[in-house]
Amino acid sequence: MWKSLAFALFFALSPAAFAAPSTAEMTAWLKIVDDRQENNGDYQSSFFLEQKEAGKSDLVYQGEIHRRDADDKLVILFTKPTAEAGKGYLRIDNNLFFYDPTVGKWERRTERERIGGTSSQRQDFDQSRLHVEFDPAYVAEEKLGQYAVHHMKLTAKPAVDVAYPIVEVWVDKSTNNVLKRQDFALSGKLMRTTYYPKWEKAISATKKAEVYYPKEIRIYDEVIKGNQTTVVISDVKLSAQEDATFTKAWLEARSR
Amino acid sequence: MRILLLIALRNLLGARRRSALLGMAVGMVTLILVLMLSLTKGIEDNLIEGATTLSTGHVNVAGFYKSTPGESIPVVTRLSEVRKIVEENTPGLDYVIDRSRGWGKIISDTGSMQVGLSGIEAAQEDRFFEKVQLAPLSDYVEGGNDTTEGDLRRIAEPNTVLLFAAQAKKLEVRVGDQITVQTETFGGRTNTIDATIIAVARDQGLLSNWSVFVPRSATTELYQFGPDTTGAVWIYLKDHRDAEKTMEHLRTVFAEKGFGVMDHEPNPFWMKFETVQGEDWTGQKLDLTVWRDEVNFLTYVLTGFNFITTLLLFVLVVLIVIGISNTMWNAVRERTKEIGTMRAIGMSGTRVLWLILLEALLLGVIATTLGGLLGVIIATAINAANIELHNDAFRAILLAEKVRLSVHADQVVMAILGLTAITGLAAIWPARRGATIPPVTAIQTVE
Repeated sequence: MWKSLAFALFFALSPAAFAAPSTAEMTAWLKIVDDRQENNGDYQSSFFLEQKEAGKSDLVYQGEIHRRDADDKLVILFTKPTAEAGKGYLRIDNNLFFYDPTVGKWERRTERERIGGTSSQRQDFDQSRLHVEFDPAYVAEEKLGQYAVHHMKLTAKPAVDVAYPIVEVWVDKSTNNVLKRQDFALSGKLMRTTYYPKWEKAISATKKAEVYYPKEIRIYDEVIKGNQTTVVISDVKLSAQEDATFTKAWLEARSR
Repeated sequence: MRILLLIALRNLLGARRRSALLGMAVGMVTLILVLMLSLTKGIEDNLIEGATTLSTGHVNVAGFYKSTPGESIPVVTRLSEVRKIVEENTPGLDYVIDRSRGWGKIISDTGSMQVGLSGIEAAQEDRFFEKVQLAPLSDYVEGGNDTTEGDLRRIAEPNTVLLFAAQAKKLEVRVGDQITVQTETFGGRTNTIDATIIAVARDQGLLSNWSVFVPRSATTELYQFGPDTTGAVWIYLKDHRDAEKTMEHLRTVFAEKGFGVMDHEPNPFWMKFETVQGEDWTGQKLDLTVWRDEVNFLTYVLTGFNFITTLLLFVLVVLIVIGISNTMWNAVRERTKEIGTMRAIGMSGTRVLWLILLEALLLGVIATTLGGLLGVIIATAINAANIELHNDAFRAILLAEKVRLSVHADQVVMAILGLTAITGLAAIWPARRGATIPPVTAIQTVE
């Protein structure tokens, strides 16, 4: 009896039973995650952004996102409320600029900029680059609610400009969509948890395939308890946009 | 001259009521001037004391390091070499410290705020521990009493933090509580430490609102500094008035020793990022400043007070000049008979002029001296009363938690001499009129 139990335990704990995926395999998964969201043409959508902060009034913004993934270009333009309308971000050549029409001035911002002062960052609106920016390590195969997921710990590659150097992701095994993400500081402290409860897809003529995007993103600040940001993406269009869209002049013109 | 002085004194005593009223007016103006100058000087003293305790040395050797033209880090590398050069080449040096500095967020269970972080080495900071005092619980705890908690010197321990009362009140924390300090490394990655509050210090005006102190080891960890790197080397001089001269001297010394030295820009380091990032150089450049540059955003208070003092003084001086001229003119008219007699018995016009001027000057000396002394007494009494400022706007304007008037003897003497001179000048016109009355006219007046 004891012998059989020990035998079963030995097999259960053997490396074969745990056979964690190799780094190459995990990088391939991350590439799939990134590729599914990448459109080799242009991307345009509307967003609704709500920030809840403990003891403060809720902040609500609406705006537009314009992306040209092939050139790493990104425009975020606020359209509502009136006080924020016309403010926007432009990312070109790895530089993020912020425009405020009330002062008519462009300011250079870091890649880690909190968009509109909320818990959301540029990375939440930009294309996914997990396989480029991080080295993966496997944590476990887990259940996240009803979904079977790969839980991976990602460590930022040296010299890559990311806000959080350690990230843990829970990737749906069946769809390869990220369902949950946790961002950690260099010290290992958990900073924020993000949930992606809804994913949708659109057909890209340029990619000739489906492009996936999170319909809703819920970001929970883990340090300042009670702070929460919700991003809802809608009206996704994958048709080509004017080259002028990704210029300072365009954003300034839209701000008027 | 002695006779003239005697006559002038008798004239003043003869018109007691007029002399007393005029003297009172001149004395009041002196008193107001002394109080205004003491207040301005008090603000300046608060500014220099607060700034050189919390934010700057008398002279600073700071700088920027740029790995690429577009990125700048406010650090000084080769710290030991820079300190050695400072110690060997600073005339009138008192002592040198260095602090690392940065910007971050402190977070408690109930709130958060952006603050300037200073990483200090407790062993170097005797002056800091002398100037910074523990705040009573009543300053930051609801219903707190006058006892204090904590020990400033525990800042030498790792993962500790020293807050000021206004910050502790806002974050609803007290000594022993833990807060999170969140920053970005110079590579841009989020980093944190969990730190224990070891002391809550008394506020020091506007400057302490955003100053938080942690041990140097904490900033090294948060920003991932190298071992021989700091934020700035702070130089304290025996006489802070030598700061400008010392800075210029050190600029030359560092340039001669092969260090890149930035052009002098009289602004604090955090206002220079945009300029530095726009410049096309890489590597380390030193940036030398004096204490006033690092707090120039606060000198508006001094400028404002100087402006108000000047304006008030101008108005009061105009009133004094009109009052004295008018009074002396009346005195000359009333005493034409007397002047005529003196001229008739041989007194020259010049001596008559001096007589009237001396009368005004004598009144001025007595009135301004009494007014000045009264001003000194009132200022001393106000300081002794330890009047606390409970209004945030007043604290911001006066850069302190208590009303402080700094009486400086040279300023009082200047006020007395200046206003006496103005009193004399105001009497020139009536004195000239008195001196130029022809003896015949004076005799006719006698008749």
